[in-house]
Amino acid sequence: MSASAEVLSQAFTLGYTYTRSTGPVVGRFLTALRDRKIVGIKGSDGKVIVPPMEWDPVTAEALSDFVDLPDTGVVKSWAWVKHPRGKHPLDKPFAWAQIQFDGADIPMIHCVDAGDESAMKAGMRVKVRWAEETIGSINDIACFDPA
Amino acid sequence: MADLAAVVGIGQTKYQTKRKDVSIAGLVREAAFNALTDAGLTWDDIDAVVVGKAPDMFEGGIMPELYLTDALGCNGKPMLRVHTAGSVGGSTAIVAASYVQSGMFKRVLTVTYEKQSESNAMWALSNAQPFSPHLNAGAGGFFAPIIREYMRRTNAPYDVGIKVATKDRLHGARNPLAHLQLPNITLKEVEDSPMLWEPLRFLESCPSSDGACALVISNEELAAQSPKKPAWIRGAAMRSEPTMYAGREQVNPQAGIDCAKDVYKQAGITDPRKDLDCAEIYVPFSWYEPMWLENLGFADVGQGWKLTMEGATSLDEKGDIPWNCSGGVLSSNPIGASGMIRFAEAARQVRGDAGDHQVDGAKLAMGHAYGGGAQFFAMWVVGSEKA
Repeated sequence: MSASAEVLSQAFTLGYTYTRSTGPVVGRFLTALRDRKIVGIKGSDGKVIVPPMEWDPVTAEALSDFVDLPDTGVVKSWAWVKHPRGKHPLDKPFAWAQIQFDGADIPMIHCVDAGDESAMKAGMRVKVRWAEETIGSINDIACFDPA
Repeated sequence: MADLAAVVGIGQTKYQTKRKDVSIAGLVREAAFNALTDAGLTWDDIDAVVVGKAPDMFEGGIMPELYLTDALGCNGKPMLRVHTAGSVGGSTAIVAASYVQSGMFKRVLTVTYEKQSESNAMWALSNAQPFSPHLNAGAGGFFAPIIREYMRRTNAPYDVGIKVATKDRLHGARNPLAHLQLPNITLKEVEDSPMLWEPLRFLESCPSSDGACALVISNEELAAQSPKKPAWIRGAAMRSEPTMYAGREQVNPQAGIDCAKDVYKQAGITDPRKDLDCAEIYVPFSWYEPMWLENLGFADVGQGWKLTMEGATSLDEKGDIPWNCSGGVLSSNPIGASGMIRFAEAARQVRGDAGDHQVDGAKLAMGHAYGGGAQFFAMWVVGSEKA
């Protein structure tokens, strides 16, 4: 066998720009957030899902039965973030939580500004804290406050 | 011996520059729903789903099979994804068919798509790599030198590509789903369009389209219960070639020759020009029509351009072997779906369901796709009869 050649390696980064469209159902949810409102959708089994899904998770049929909901709900489960990092939604300790809006049957993940871990418990009531400026994004919900 | 399988449902979207009204999933769903409707079926009637799309970087979305399960009614069903660059639409249909031909599933939904308006296909297909200069060629820049070599070998006149580009757009004007609608296009208009990659002009190149195409493929027993006429799959084949070997024959790739021979043998075809009634062949750049006429055995090597110039491939000139009656890739190009559109349009012809671009009495048709650097090939032959 001949003398082995040096095996070279080189780092490289690759990036492109893209666009995404929401479609009519998720689009309606996001534009409702811009108006500081919560919209869910009713599935074939009668369950209200937030954020709304475009197609029924059981039957795959198209869904269109939108339901207006209040901006209050209940924490179903949670995990405390002791040391938030730069990209986290809050710059102080907070909880990631599964929050079920009042009138909904399926929870949604968002964050709760509870101040201290001891304030968090499953079953606690929370209310949306709206962002100062709403633009049609999930971040229009700045976080949830204990209510 | 494989079981018989047939296309019993075909669904397409209207191909256009931008579909801002739907998400990617919504676009895919639309084609799938149209195919189910065409087949007189519902989501519950489908046993498995096979999806295909162009390379992930084109659209910047990985794992489409994960993202699309809700939209495609895959709850509780097998779902898988096929990758073979630009030929993916064809190979996805073949993979779906093979699951039915093997007896694994009775009825499969298969869908391919591309939303080019939300993609970056032009640059993502020639990305920079370490240790090499960045070619930044795009597809046209890649294929133009191969076309020039074809012209050198055959002494074909300069305007063969212009003829193909005009002919396919006139075909496309008969197809309401085609993206480009240019019923008054002239040879001069194509010739006067800007030169992009010598010898390819702007109007000799495919458009960028948003769109999706879906098929429902059933076994023999279920196809017999279908409300519309089935298109029987008489042969299907795929072949590949190595990417990095510079000595590869690129004008007339061996994999294309072999793939065509295989599919013709399965379908009992000895003379494709005579035995087939029409063909939907992947021609994204005009000159690929004469090149593939030779590669696929419709003409002897060096003679393909003569068929084009004689009008043999033109519906309007009443040619004996019309190619791309739907308008082809030159009229609509949602890349990930383009191969399946060829397969679907071949099936529409033998079902007698191709509207204003129908070839009268078509009984046997071919669908073809190629991808990568013309190194992935997928082909099928469909017939109005089982054998």
